[in-house]
This record gives sequence, C-alpha cells and structure tokens, in this order.
Amino acid sequence: MANVTVSADELAQLGAPPAKKRRGLVRRSWDVFAENRLALVGLGFIVFIVLFCFLGPVFYQTNQSTTDLINTMCPPSGGHLLGCNELGYDQLGRLMAGGQTSIEVGLAAALVAVSFGTLYGAISGFFGGVVDAVMMRVVDAGLSLPSLMVLIIAAVIFHPSPVVMIFAIAVFYWFAVARLVRGETLTLRTREYVQAVKVVGGSKLRSVIRHVLPNAIGTIIVQATFAVADSILTLSGLGFLGLGVSAPATDWGSMLSGGLNYLQGSDPWWLIYPPGILIILTCISFNFIGDALRDAFETRLQRR
Amino acid sequence: MIGFLIRRIGQALIVLVIVTIIVLALVHLFPGGPVKALLGPRATPQQLAYYTQLYGFDKPFYEQYIKWVGQMLQGNLGYSDKLNQSVTSLIGQDLPKTIVLVLLGTIVSLLLGIPLGVYQAVRRYSIGDYVLTGISFLGYATPTFFFGLLLVDWFAVRTHIFPPFAPNSSSVLTILGDPRALVLPVVAYAFLLFALWSRYMRSSVMDNLVQDYVRTARAKGASERQVIWGHVFRNSLVSIVTLLGLSLPTLVAGAIFIEVVFNYPGMGLAFYNAAEQVDYQVLLGFTVLATAATVVGNLLADIGYAMLDPRVRY
Amino acid sequence: MALLQIEDLHTNIQLKDGVVHAVDGVTLHVDEGETLGVVGESGCGKTMTALSIMNLLPVGGHITGGSVKLGDKTISTLDAAAMRSIRGNEIGMIFQDPLSSLNPTHTVGKQIAEAVLLHRDVSKHDAYERAIEVLDMVGLPRARERVGEYPHQFSGGMRQRVMIAMALACEPKLLIADEPTTALDVTIQKQILELIDDLRHRLGMAVILVTHDLGVIAGRADRVAVMYAGRVVETTDTAALFENPRHPYTEALFHALPEKSAETRERLYSIPGAPPDLVTPPPGCRFAPRCRYATDRCRAEDPALAGETTAHTYACFFPVGAHEKTVAGQLVVVEPAPADDAVPADVPVAGDVVLSAKDLVKDFPVTRGALLRRKVGTVSAVAGVSFDIRKGETLGLVGESGCGKTTIGRMLVGLEKPTSGAVSFAGKDLARSSGRQYRRERRDIQYMFQDSYASLDPRMRAGSILREPLIVQHMGSRREQQAKVREMLGKVGLPAAWTERFPHEFSGGQRQRLGFARALMLNPQLIVADEPVSALDVSIQAQVLNMMRDLQRELGLTYLFISHDLSVVRYLSNHIGVMYLGKLVEIGTADEVYLRPAHPYTKGLIESAPTADPAAERAKVNEGITGELPSALHPPTGCRFRTRCPLAQEICSSVEPELKPYGVGNHLAACHFALQPPVEATAPTATEQVP
Repeated sequence: MANVTVSADELAQLGAPPAKKRRGLVRRSWDVFAENRLALVGLGFIVFIVLFCFLGPVFYQTNQSTTDLINTMCPPSGGHLLGCNELGYDQLGRLMAGGQTSIEVGLAAALVAVSFGTLYGAISGFFGGVVDAVMMRVVDAGLSLPSLMVLIIAAVIFHPSPVVMIFAIAVFYWFAVARLVRGETLTLRTREYVQAVKVVGGSKLRSVIRHVLPNAIGTIIVQATFAVADSILTLSGLGFLGLGVSAPATDWGSMLSGGLNYLQGSDPWWLIYPPGILIILTCISFNFIGDALRDAFETRLQRR
Repeated sequence: MIGFLIRRIGQALIVLVIVTIIVLALVHLFPGGPVKALLGPRATPQQLAYYTQLYGFDKPFYEQYIKWVGQMLQGNLGYSDKLNQSVTSLIGQDLPKTIVLVLLGTIVSLLLGIPLGVYQAVRRYSIGDYVLTGISFLGYATPTFFFGLLLVDWFAVRTHIFPPFAPNSSSVLTILGDPRALVLPVVAYAFLLFALWSRYMRSSVMDNLVQDYVRTARAKGASERQVIWGHVFRNSLVSIVTLLGLSLPTLVAGAIFIEVVFNYPGMGLAFYNAAEQVDYQVLLGFTVLATAATVVGNLLADIGYAMLDPRVRY
Repeated sequence: MALLQIEDLHTNIQLKDGVVHAVDGVTLHVDEGETLGVVGESGCGKTMTALSIMNLLPVGGHITGGSVKLGDKTISTLDAAAMRSIRGNEIGMIFQDPLSSLNPTHTVGKQIAEAVLLHRDVSKHDAYERAIEVLDMVGLPRARERVGEYPHQFSGGMRQRVMIAMALACEPKLLIADEPTTALDVTIQKQILELIDDLRHRLGMAVILVTHDLGVIAGRADRVAVMYAGRVVETTDTAALFENPRHPYTEALFHALPEKSAETRERLYSIPGAPPDLVTPPPGCRFAPRCRYATDRCRAEDPALAGETTAHTYACFFPVGAHEKTVAGQLVVVEPAPADDAVPADVPVAGDVVLSAKDLVKDFPVTRGALLRRKVGTVSAVAGVSFDIRKGETLGLVGESGCGKTTIGRMLVGLEKPTSGAVSFAGKDLARSSGRQYRRERRDIQYMFQDSYASLDPRMRAGSILREPLIVQHMGSRREQQAKVREMLGKVGLPAAWTERFPHEFSGGQRQRLGFARALMLNPQLIVADEPVSALDVSIQAQVLNMMRDLQRELGLTYLFISHDLSVVRYLSNHIGVMYLGKLVEIGTADEVYLRPAHPYTKGLIESAPTADPAAERAKVNEGITGELPSALHPPTGCRFRTRCPLAQEICSSVEPELKPYGVGNHLAACHFALQPPVEATAPTATEQVP
C-alpha cells in the first residue's frame, strides 16, 4: 500500500487530458470563427466593399463636385457604368463616395458608442450599490428616448456634418452597450477569480483591467460589430428622410432620398437599387461576422 | 406582488422625470435660445419676449420644468402655428391611425415570428431553420424604408396586386375598411420585427430545451409536443416580453419610415412634415408623447414578465 | 424472473469529434422490492446506464446494443409512444438537483398532477387530490396548503420530496434515483434516504440507487454493482462487497476513503492517473493502467464478469480478497484475506497560537429595492465565534449549509469584514486593516477556493495565474518569479511544462492542485481551505488530501480546513469545530469530538453521515435530526439548535448555552444537556445526563 503521489511525468502520461497543440486564445477563436462559412463570406465582402469605396476612385475617376446638368439621369453606358443621377454625377462614383461616408460614419459611431458605453457600464457594474442604481436609471432614461425622433430634431436644427453625425448616432447607441457591459461586469465581478485577486493583495483596479475586461471583451467586440451595422442603417434612414449629410457630400442613405420619386416614375432604377443593395449586403456581412464571433467566444469558454 | 408593482411604478416615474429633464435640456440647447427654437427663426422680438414670459424661460430651470410638466399634465402640449392646430388635437387626429399600423404590424410579426422561432429551435440545423435564419438576417440588414420601397415597386408599381399608397383618410374606420391597401405597409413594417422575435424565440427555446426540468418532464412520460408547448414555450416567452418592452423606440422609428413611404396619414408622417416645416412645437410634443409611451411600455413589459415568472413575484 | 434485466447494454454518445462509448457492455438485474446500488466515480457510465433504461439519453445518445427488459417486455426497442407510457408510470426517476429539475413557472401541484394526468384517465380535480395525497406520503408538511406554491419557495430537501412525489404518483414498480442526495445537507440526506426506503417497503417498489457515495450504498443498498469506464467490474450483495471486495478497483476505492485511515492518520491510498478516455478505450482490462497488481495479460486481454459463485462476480484475472462459495444460499468466505500492516502516523507537535478569533460576528443586511435600499432584515451568518489555531496544526471547521463556516474563512482573509469581533494573527489585529497593511498581511494568510474552475481566470495561463501573487506583492525579479512558479508546480505534483496550459486543460483534481499552488506562492503561514475536495471523486480526493498533508509537514503550514464532510475533516484535522447556524456549538480534538461528542447536533451529524460499513449503517438508530434548517433571518431564540434537537427543553429557548468544557483536552460544547460529563464538578445547571 505504499503508493505515493505519482511523479510529474507519469501523471502527464496517465492522466493528462489529450495534449492538444498549445494554441493561443486568438488562434483558437479564429479557428471557430473560420468554421463558419457565412462569416468568411461576410468578411470577404467587407474587404471587397472597403476596397471598392476607398480604392475604387483611384481607378475609376469621376467628378463628384461639379454638376453636369446636360447628363442628368443618363442610363448606364460605357462612360458611366451605372448611369448618372439627377445632377449629372456619375452614379458608380457616387456609390464609392457615398460608401466612404457610410462606412466611415458607421465604424466611427460604433467605436465611440462602444468605447463610452463600455467604460460607463464597467464603472457602474463594478461599483454597484447606489452608484450603479443611479447610473442605470440614466441608461433606462436614454433607452426610453425615441432615438429617431430626437435625431431628426437634431438634424433639422443643426444640419450636421459627418463628424457631428458620428457623435449624434453614438449618443443614442451607447445606452444599450452600457447596459450590456454592466450586466457582464456584474456577473464577472462575483466570479471567484476576481475575488482571488483581492486575496493575494491586488487592487480593484487590477481586477477590472486584468480580469474583468479581458473576459468581457468577447461580448464587447460582438456588440461593436453589430453596432457598425446598426449605425449604417441609422445613417441611411436619416439620409432617406433628407436629413443626412449635406451636398456635395453624400452617403448611401441620401442617395435613396429620391426613392419616392422613383416610385412615381421620375427617378430611374439605377439610382435606387445599387445603394440599397449595398446597404443590405454590408450590414448583413457585419451581422454574419458578429454572429460567428459570438459563437467563437462562447465555445472557447465552454471547452472544459 | 403589490410591493413589486409599487417599486416598478416608482422606477418608471423616476425614468420619466429624467427623460423629460433631458428633453427640456435639449430645448435649451437650440441655437438662439429655447424660445427662438419654439417659435422659429422668423419670430419677432415682441413674440420672443411674450413667449419667454409665457413659458417662463427667464426663470430658473427647475421652475420652467415644473411649469412645463404642469402644462403637459393638463393636456397642453403646445400649439402649431403652421398647422393652426394644438398639438394635442393633432395627436388625437393622427395617433389612432398610427396605432392601427403599429398594432397590426406587431401582431402579425408576433403571430409569425414566435411559432416559427419555436419551429426553428426544435428543427435546428434543418433546411427550414437555415432558410428562416437567412430571412431573419435579411430582416436585420434591410432598412425598413428600403423594404417598403421594394414592396411598392414589385407589388404595386410593376405589378398591380396592391395599391401603392396606404388608405388616406382621417377616419380609422375607413382605413380599416380598405384592407388591401394596408397589406404592404403592414408587411413592410413587420419584417424587421419578425426577424427580432423569431431570432430571440429560437435562441430562448434552444436554451430551455437543454434544461433539467425538460428531462424531468420527459421522465414523466410527456410527449415532445407536451414538453415544448406545456413547459418550454411559456418559459421562453419571458425573453420576448422584455424585448417587446425595449423595442418601443424601434416601433416608433418603423412607423415614421413606413408612413413616409406609403403616405399614410399617421403621427409618423405628421412628424416628418413637421421636420420639413421646422415646426418645433409638434416635434417636441410628439417626442414627449413617444417617450412617455416607451416608459409605460417598459413598465407593462416588466409586469408581464412578473406574471410569467413567479420567481420575481414571490 | 427479475423485475428489470439489462443485458450487455451499449450506449454511445455522438460528439462533434468522436463517439463516446459511455456504456460499454453492462449486464445488471434488479429484483422486485430490492435496492440495487450502482456506484462509481464520475464518467464511469452509471448515469448513462440509468438514463438508458428509460431511453432519456441526451442529444446524440443512442442505445447501440444489448437490451433492457422490464419483466418479460423488452423496453429498449419500444417505439416512442409505448416508451412514454412506461416513463412515469411503470418506472419513475428522480434526479440530482431538484431546483433545476423542476419547472420554475409551474406550481408543485400542477407538476405532480401532470404525472397523474399523463397516465390515468381522471379529472383534473382528482389528479390534484392525488398530488396532495402523494405530497403527504412523502412527508411534506401542510401539503394541502403548499400544493399551489412554486419550487423556489421550498427548501432543497422539500424540493427533493416533491420530485419523489412526482415520480411515485403513479405507483411505479421501479424507481431510479440518480444521485438523489448529493446536493443536500447530510442531515437532510438521511431523511430523504429513509423516506425512499420507507416508500419502497410501503409500495413494494424496487429501487436503483445511483451514487458515488460508498457510505450511502453501505446503508441503503441490498446489492451493489461497481462500475468503471462504462462497465460493471464487480457485483454482489452489499455485505459481501464491503467485507470482501474482489476487484482491485473496489479495493482501491475503499483504501482511498478518509474514514478508513481516520484512526491511524496514515497516507491515503490514491489511485494514480485518471479514468480512460471512452472515445478510444484501451485494449485489455480498462483498469489495468492504474492497477497496482496489473500484469501483461491484464493489459492485453479484457476480463469478463465471472466469479466463484454467481452471487459475487467480478471482472478481473487476479482478484484480491478471499475465495468464497455459496453455502445454503449464503455467501461464505473460505479463507480470510491477509491483514494489512497499518503504519501508525506521527502526531504533529502543536506550537504557539498563530491565529486567534474572538467573538466574530457577521451580519448581512437584506435590502430590497434598487435605489432606495430599505433594510428588511439581517441574516445572522456568524454570531459570536471564537477559536484559536496553533502553529503546524489543522483546525477543521465542519457544519452544514448556512452554518457560517465559509463566512468565517472569508473573514480571515479579508474577503468579508466582520461586523464585530477581532482576529489577531501572531499578535496583530487583522480585521480592521486596509490598504498597504492589508496587502502586507496577505503574505501570511492565504486562501484556497472550493470551485477551482471558477477561481482560476479562464483566459490566463497557469504560469501567469501563479505569478500574479508575486507580481502584486512585488516579490522577486521576473526570472525569480518564474523559478518559484516552477518550484511550486513541482511541489503540488504538476509538471513544470504545464505553465503554458489554460485552466480548462486541467482535470478537476489538477485544478485543485493549481489553486493550492497559488495559495503557496506567497509562503504563507496559514492557509484557509474552503471545501477543497468536496467536488472531487474519492480517488482524486485522496491525491489532493495526501498532497496537503505532505506539504503541511514539509513547509510547516497551518490549516483552517472548512468542509461539510466529517470523515475528511476528521482525517486531516487535529482539532474540530462544529458550527450550526452561525454558532460554534462544539470544539475539541478530532478524536474527542468524533468519538465522544458532547453536543446533540454533533452526534446527529456523525450519525447522519453515511459510512462505508454496512453493519454499522444498519445498526444506526433511525432517529436522527428531524426537521429543516431554520431561517438565518430569524434564528431561534436561546439555543439555535433547539427546534431540531431531541433533547430540547424549556430552558433551551430562553437561555443561550455557553461553551463549557467537557471530557478531556479543552473539549468545549454549548449545550444545557450535553452528552458528556462536564469538567467542573461545581456545575450549577441541570446535570441530567442522557446517554
């Protein structure tokens, strides 16, 4: 009966879980992500559309600042691959210019909203108590505001530039992010590995930065991805209503402001379908990516 | 239960107060001052002085706030010079029509989305699931107004199955009496909502199907149908109820877009027209109303949640 | 003919990357009216076997071979509808966690009535009446009133009674109980197991009792089947199994039990390695890689279940123990097995007092409302506890849920601040420190968490987790820290190369070792270990306990060992403190408290805990601690234990008993009617002794 604790090598041989190749978290998340073919398609499309909008004008040069009233509404042809719009601008070039604005505003608004929302939610969740209660009432109030209505009012008054648009959209989006991050923080705060930091003498700050945030980062990234799609949609909605960025700058939504004219027969299809379809494809791509990222982060944590 | 109700109503009131403070603060952010904002850029100095005194904008903020809230509670939401109507009467005129649209759209999306969500969860990874998932993703990614445009283009302009405009009348009954004209607006409105409910229901049912109590129900001899509809369905519904409460801003936004596209004479179209005309009274009044509706909606959703989940009540 | 006959059952579970052969050739039978115990550690297939009987397998699970017969009916091949008419009707099943196993949004009555309505053609009203009747039968007080309540409104023990009621509503012939008491307190466990036994006799039912707890088997099962790696490795009646185990695994299990070595305090036998991977099981005997008697034949050939008599079969070529034969229907041992030579352990010399707790009190306010927090009550978690811990010794703190032992542990390491009272360590007062002083104190007292999975950051590698204490305390250069990490890994028996692994790549026992290594990093003098082995299988538990024991000797550590498991506490501790509802009711040396308990609660606790000795289990008086744990929001006046104490009198509700000495060696107990003679001859209070 003299058996003793087995030596380390024997333990490794006998009892160790099957030794997989030691891969980092990033690598393993990527693997799960890459299994999702839709996400890869989405990623591919995003890459394509970014190149299209930002590099496209280098190869397909059009004049986007001076109107050409002779050529209004010209149909697609060799000189103008997608025709011209009501002011004579080349439509394909306009798509690229509009795309730049839509994507820039979308990405920036998402970035601002998620950054601020994360900070706010993390502080609220970590401190808890009265601080949390007050901060969350503010978030509740923000979530109760009919965001589109207030955005419309703001657009009417201020005639915003793209930069102002970014902040305007972000101002309404961060509430949802804050609530989500606060929920995550509350959950993670009670996890024992956060308490363990205190037991070894670590500060609260260390807990948040080294332990809570890294474990919440998955949710945050997923949120950010969806935020980009939502921001693009919001911007396009405002543009359709005629309240987006002012000429000669444009975005995909503003290009659709002639939508009702189209239905009445005065605007041709090449003014309406291309921007609309690009909005749908771009947003759906971000959604595919976000969905796959959500799966990737979840399975990683569940692999026990 | 009573205690829970009181607490929730208290919270709702606090939120309402904060929100109205925010709205009033927004008014003050207008360039040129709040009175100018309310009256427009062409107001004469006399008008400005008169209304400044009338609304008390020369008084401290909290006094203005109390006065304003007092007025609102009495039913006075402002007056639109451009339309020569009080905002309240405008609301009385247009709100019922918007409610018809929103109600129909929400009900249709719920009636389709919830059962299909359950179906997707039960038959996950089947062809049907993938197809419905694809449709949901499209629903998330398509701007509501664009979908409306497409529907009109395909079903009204190019083909003539449905009329291109929504029924245009000031009477709700007349509107309801022309169902064909309501089909496209309602479908366009419901598309995004359908995507939301079916997705959430799918994920909620999937979560519940692997819970222990389902195994117990099966161990008692319950059939799959009894398990799904007798046990899982109700427990999955709670997430939808909360979601319903939170999606009021979405419901409002959808109404604005659809009414503009289909020229439907509800509050959304009125709001849009007010924006074009820069009619601040209408804009503000409608915003306050929509906000109050959202707060009440959230409260009702919480109460609904408590009714579905006894753990919250006791 | 047996009531249930399982013949060569094979059940597979289809995973994304591979097929798990969870049940790989199991043959069992259950006769009418008897209790068959199926015992084994996690992953042995006992739960899968139970689920296979009723075809309740999880997603991806299929019976791929063999048969299950109920009477003369083969039920493993029935179609869905026919199987449904058997579930809940002829066979009932109860599960481990009654909270998650009951639908939270249906009333208790509705869930039981559902079971009736599914199989009997009665009205809803009659079904409800039956529900009340059955709830009464399982001992739920005020059944008629409580039938409309929801599961979360009941305590754990009550919920399990509800589950039993649900399973028995249609009076099945067979009840399958899968770990029915694992999630319950020991005293409640006893009540539930007695209830199942009682119902078995009353309803003429057979029971399959699936558990990992050998003590439960010893007390409740008529026959036992021991499972390992998807197979049955030994089966016989209970007395024979415990008296004369033949399979090396069974023998090893018994030797790994702390209670077997409690008297001698020698090292536990720990089975090396871990159970085999059931996706690709090894050829030959599945236990061979870990068996101390294995030969080449064992590694190549797979032994079948056989034995000298059919009453005791085992799957081993070289069984241990003594030969047996059946004489007039009784199993008789032919030659006695050779006795083991027990090596007595050395008793550590107790030193000076290293930690002293005085009148510790912790109250948790209960608030309602988010913004306006109104205090609606106070939970009295710890209500005036004092004790000393001496250098080099282990103080075991034992008690059931809600007794406050975990809260005390957390107060000692600063995770909770005491409401009042003092903790002094090496003379200095701890409880009030904060900031830099608090950080400095961490070097002396460290903590080992119960749930290793939750206490290790899943995103950090093992090396980083271990280095963190040193980084926080600014101890050593990077290289020195890494060297220390490797040193500590070695001390707890983990390979140094595993610094790059993530927590989920460790097994349960290995994670506990990692957690212990982290506790050692700062060279503490005192380690507070909160339920460190509660979630582990017996064989892994033995490994971790041995490790803790060895390191205590080697590094001169002092332990506060918190657990609800008396046998583990008794094995490892020099002194034991017994807690109940926030009070320390008894404290003394381990032997004194265990062998001569003075407090009725301690006695009840000892008696309720199942031990792996069938004779002792049967001999236990069936009267134990009755009733449920009172709410900590409104603890009973006077003595907090009086509501469940068989000796309670008038004085117990008005005067709170103080800790007074009894027996030998500073053995204290707080009871007016203690079970041992008091030390002072001049005891003024009532001296009626109850033997």
